[in-house]
Amino acid sequence: MLQQTIGGVAAQQTVAPSAPYLSVEKIAKAYRETRVVEDLDFAVERGELVSLLGPSGCGKTTLLRLISGLVSADAGRVVVGGRDITRLPAHKRNVSVVFQNYALFPHLNVRENVGFGLKARGRAKAGIHDAVTEALQLVRMEAFADRPVSALSGGQQQRVAVARALVVEPDLLLLDEPFSALDRKLRETMQVELKSLLRAKGMTAIFVTHDQEEALAVSSRIAVMNAGRIEQYADPVTLYTRPATGFVLDFVGLSTRIAGTVSKSESGFIEVDTAYGVVRVPGRFRPGSKVLLGVRPERIRPVSPDAAPADSEVRITSMLADVMCLGSKTHLYGEAAEDDRLVSEVSGAQAAESLLPGESVAFEWPREATLVYPLGAA
Amino acid sequence: MSVALPSAEATRRPRLRVDPFVLLAAPGLLYLAILFALPLAILLFRSFQASDGTFSIAGYIAFFSDPHNLSVTWRTLKVAILSTLLCLVLAYPTAFALARARGIVQSLILVAMVLPLSVGVIVKAFSWSIVLRSDGIVNQTLLALGLVEAPVRLLFTETALVIGSANVFLPFMVLPIYAVVRQIDPELSPAAASLGAGPFFRFFQVVLPLTLPGVIAGVAFVFSLAISMYVIPSLLVGERLSTMSMLIARSFLFFRDAQLGSTISAILLLMAVIVVLGSSYLVRHVSGGRA
Repeated sequence: MLQQTIGGVAAQQTVAPSAPYLSVEKIAKAYRETRVVEDLDFAVERGELVSLLGPSGCGKTTLLRLISGLVSADAGRVVVGGRDITRLPAHKRNVSVVFQNYALFPHLNVRENVGFGLKARGRAKAGIHDAVTEALQLVRMEAFADRPVSALSGGQQQRVAVARALVVEPDLLLLDEPFSALDRKLRETMQVELKSLLRAKGMTAIFVTHDQEEALAVSSRIAVMNAGRIEQYADPVTLYTRPATGFVLDFVGLSTRIAGTVSKSESGFIEVDTAYGVVRVPGRFRPGSKVLLGVRPERIRPVSPDAAPADSEVRITSMLADVMCLGSKTHLYGEAAEDDRLVSEVSGAQAAESLLPGESVAFEWPREATLVYPLGAA
Repeated sequence: MSVALPSAEATRRPRLRVDPFVLLAAPGLLYLAILFALPLAILLFRSFQASDGTFSIAGYIAFFSDPHNLSVTWRTLKVAILSTLLCLVLAYPTAFALARARGIVQSLILVAMVLPLSVGVIVKAFSWSIVLRSDGIVNQTLLALGLVEAPVRLLFTETALVIGSANVFLPFMVLPIYAVVRQIDPELSPAAASLGAGPFFRFFQVVLPLTLPGVIAGVAFVFSLAISMYVIPSLLVGERLSTMSMLIARSFLFFRDAQLGSTISAILLLMAVIVVLGSSYLVRHVSGGRA
């Protein structure tokens, strides 16, 4: 098996040395006048687990369906393992999908559901039986083989759906919000389980989700989607520390965000007029441009408004609006102008006791921790 | 097995208690008992009663020994089967269109299905006879297209009867199938496709088995209506090609032979009951208690 995989990779590389395993090129899809996905490029390496993350209506499910062939592309190409599958119907692509509601066949029992794909491929009965038993063992559902699917809990149904998708040995596994129907506790268990199962099988998989925690939990790279485009495609650390756009800043993790207008620009620094006074941060924008300043909350410290500010720090003053104790950490929210957010994260729960809403507070952070994005252009 | 703990189902015990909701059926059941079951029982009883009041199966012997009666029975059965099949062929795709359509389109299809029910059968039957006449629009079209050289005889034929009855009974086939189709998860067919199932495999392994309960219910409805229809054949084919219902009416009203009428009624009822019970057995059998 291992040798086979290595051989497969080697053969792959002689054909196209640097081509990724899955490559989506300039793909586009419109329904009537609405362009759901536009000129989108996307690539996944062999054995990689990645997520498509975005709000509902961002086109992530459409992209998934374009890759699986359940909807046809208006333009562009989908290539898996060097094979152009753009014009193939879904049933000839060898790309399995785990659906949000699992879409198990209600008239078939667990074993028949899992065996469906093999039966459709015309496999011999004995072979199907063995493969199904093995797949059910993999998801620890062998004891339920003869149960009707309606008798299963949500987590069990999901396992059957995963077994059904994997038993056909797909080239690619696509999962559409696979955990959204499970309650929180079970969701976390299933995420860990599924991730290690897919890793062990060397499966290349794409998760679609609107839940950033889920994306962070299951994938090594995350493509953040918005309005039919990929805003940023990177590993979780990069997404959090260096969000490419204001959208990613907002969508991934919590952030302080302050809108303002550049009043002065010189030698790599800009001065920005904000609702809390002028702040000086690193950046290159023309005077007059509208910008969005972003700071991750753990970089911001609440300080006494009387203390003298250091030159290396940005400081703004506001009123404390809310103190949220989250156990190991506390979030302090400042009174902010409309569409702005001021939030500082301090470790421990003590801050919740010493600070009261309504008090005057100063927020301070290192100048270089400020992220600056153009505003209003998008 | 951390998550796969025994479900509540394993510990649940069946309880022997009458669900109070069953009582809600009582008025309807009582009504049917007095006005349907009781007269029917009397009718059945009379089919085994000679004119002097003694027990006799003479009515059944007389019925089956007359070749005319046998040909009427066969025709009734044939017309019922054919119009059920015609309804099924027309209704199956319609039910899918109805289930997938949205908003105004769905309302329009539904109205198109249900509204004809509000037009009396007599009005319909007379309008068909206008259409199906030898100089009617159907024959004129056929002649104009050069498909036939002389007008085809359509009225007073079994074909007219099948076409006419399918027309009346179509909603009774569409609605039960529609009721089942709308319950089917629309993701099932895409799921089957992503597992490698082509269009035929998807239809025969997923769509058809899941719609079968609706098909069987529709067949039971239409067949039992078609086998016992009276007004449509009376108006469309007249006495020339009688059906069993017409035979029953004639026995009671014309021959004043209550035993023969009751006998034919009993036979007709038996045929319908076999189909209805058979189909409800099939529903339970094919869905295996899972659907």
